[in-house]
Amino acid sequence: MTGRHIRAIAVGIACILFVASCLHAQQSNPTEYQVKAAYLYNFGKFIEWPAKVSTAGDLFSICVLGDDPFGVTLDKTIAGENINGKKVVVRRVAKLQDAVHCRILFISSTEEGRLKEILAALDRTSVLTVSDISQFTRRGGMIQFVMEANRVRFEVNLSTAERDGLTLSSQLLKVAVNVRRSPQPGD
Amino acid sequence: MLRVRNYSIATKLTMMNMLVSGAALVIACLAFAAYDLISFRQSMIHNLSIQAQMAGSNSVSPLLFNDPQAAESTLSALRAARSVVSAGIYTLDGRPFATYWRDGNDQPLTPPQVPAGETEVHWFKDGQLALVRSIVFQGKPTGIVYIRSDLQDMTLRLQRYAGIAAMVLLASLLAALLVASMFQRAVAEPIVHLAQTARIVSRDKNYAMRATPTGKRDEPDILIGAFNEMLEQIQERDGALRKAHDELEQNVQERTAQLAASNKELEAFSYSVSHDLRAPLRGIDGFSLALLEDYAGRLDEEGKNHLQRIRAATQRMGLLIDDLLNLSRMTRAEIRKEVVNLSALAHSVAEVLQEAHPERRIEFRIEDRLEARVDSNLIRVVLENLLGNACKFTSKRASACIEFGKAHCNGSSAYFVRDNGAGFDPAHANRLFGAFQRLHGTSEFPGTGIGLATVQRIIHRHDGKIWAEGAVEKGAAFYFTL
Repeated sequence: MTGRHIRAIAVGIACILFVASCLHAQQSNPTEYQVKAAYLYNFGKFIEWPAKVSTAGDLFSICVLGDDPFGVTLDKTIAGENINGKKVVVRRVAKLQDAVHCRILFISSTEEGRLKEILAALDRTSVLTVSDISQFTRRGGMIQFVMEANRVRFEVNLSTAERDGLTLSSQLLKVAVNVRRSPQPGD
Repeated sequence: MLRVRNYSIATKLTMMNMLVSGAALVIACLAFAAYDLISFRQSMIHNLSIQAQMAGSNSVSPLLFNDPQAAESTLSALRAARSVVSAGIYTLDGRPFATYWRDGNDQPLTPPQVPAGETEVHWFKDGQLALVRSIVFQGKPTGIVYIRSDLQDMTLRLQRYAGIAAMVLLASLLAALLVASMFQRAVAEPIVHLAQTARIVSRDKNYAMRATPTGKRDEPDILIGAFNEMLEQIQERDGALRKAHDELEQNVQERTAQLAASNKELEAFSYSVSHDLRAPLRGIDGFSLALLEDYAGRLDEEGKNHLQRIRAATQRMGLLIDDLLNLSRMTRAEIRKEVVNLSALAHSVAEVLQEAHPERRIEFRIEDRLEARVDSNLIRVVLENLLGNACKFTSKRASACIEFGKAHCNGSSAYFVRDNGAGFDPAHANRLFGAFQRLHGTSEFPGTGIGLATVQRIIHRHDGKIWAEGAVEKGAAFYFTL
């Protein structure tokens, strides 16, 4: 057995180990943001937008405002997917004006400081606002990711969503950890 | 089943009716039950499929948002469906997501995969119906629902069906029995009645019996009519036969009486004639003798000769009359049968004959120990005549040989008397036994021609037969049976 042979075998074993670890990573529990990416996409299936929004354009854009915590996972999740016949795309937006045309807007926790400004700007624009900023639904957001026993779950502020003309399916509300129906006093 | 053949037609008819209606009902019930079960199965499958669809579509959001509790609360709605034993929601890669057990136990369920290209499969196994359906949401498979149901409803339905079928069967068999008994009266009863009548007729030979017609224009009635007609014909034929028989009997009796009367008359006549003839003959003979003795001196030789001839003729006539009287006596005499030693009788007759002809050499060959049940007096007459004839017709032989014995021919035996004498022409054999019939001249062999007639009469009276064989100059043989 020559040195070349040994190297070829070593490379082969390395390859196998790499592929196996990749498969393992996929099989094993997904990361928090993989789950959140999937949820972002799945929200789109259980929510109806008002007609003026749903008929305009042929893209369904999921936007991320602020620092993107997803990396490539969001792009991977929505790659090739459709919602109601519209191609799903990911857009990272920096300016608020660009966010107005999104269907779903994920507000990164880096934007917590100007949250009030953001939500005010998006008022009545029928953009579904999602974030994992704490007290997000209390502060006028629509869906907030919460961690519960190591599982990603979400809260819904139904009145805010309905005020913006969004219809959330009962199926979605059924699995929400908490559904707020009227603005909480002290907001 | 073999015994069924011996049952009466009424029982057979009833049985047939019951069997036919029973079989038809059983088949109909089975068909209904089969149809109902098939449709019930289909509706079961359909219901289970709907339940699976509902559970599946209600589990989409729990699946997508990883909320097993929500899925389980969805599944627990199946509690309303009592037949559902267990249900489970599985993720696409086959991991159990939520389960439901009707009876509370919490065994894990491992569902088979839904085959590619199909959304739903179901199968019956171990008394359960299992159904697997892939959960499709917005055109994309999202998970798998697996639901199992027991067949208690079907079993219950089957039991209810069996109960109803048994009741219907019982009721319709009773109805069939009723109908059969009604038809039995119309069909079987006339035939049973006919059979009874036929049995009585053949047992009692009573052809005056008649079967009662049904009065309807059906086959049993035709049968009864034909049977009665046959009886009538038999009766008529019987009557005609009896009448013919009676007439014949009467005719025979009348004829026999007539014959007997005329026979008696004839015999009486011939007896009296023969008897009355003797008196004048005696006169002729007596006065001829008186003439010969008293007037011998006055008569020349020719006159004496004439008188001699008159006397010879009258004596011959006397012999003839004696024989005739004999013959008629033989005919009338009562027969007293006893065992007679024929050999001894023949010997005694032969002795007499030998003494009568001392100058002749006659050899008698008489078989020993011949016995028969006959009238001894009459049979002596037979032997005297036959042996005497033999002696007479062998007179021209230097040495005569006369045999008496028993011969066997054609399976029966006959006595015979055979000689080596003059014999006779066989062409005239039938004339031998007639009265006054002679085949030889009186000058050649003396005789009256009555002997064989007497013999024949005696043999006939013993219910026997007599016949002769012989040829000219070759001797004669007389056979007789007794």
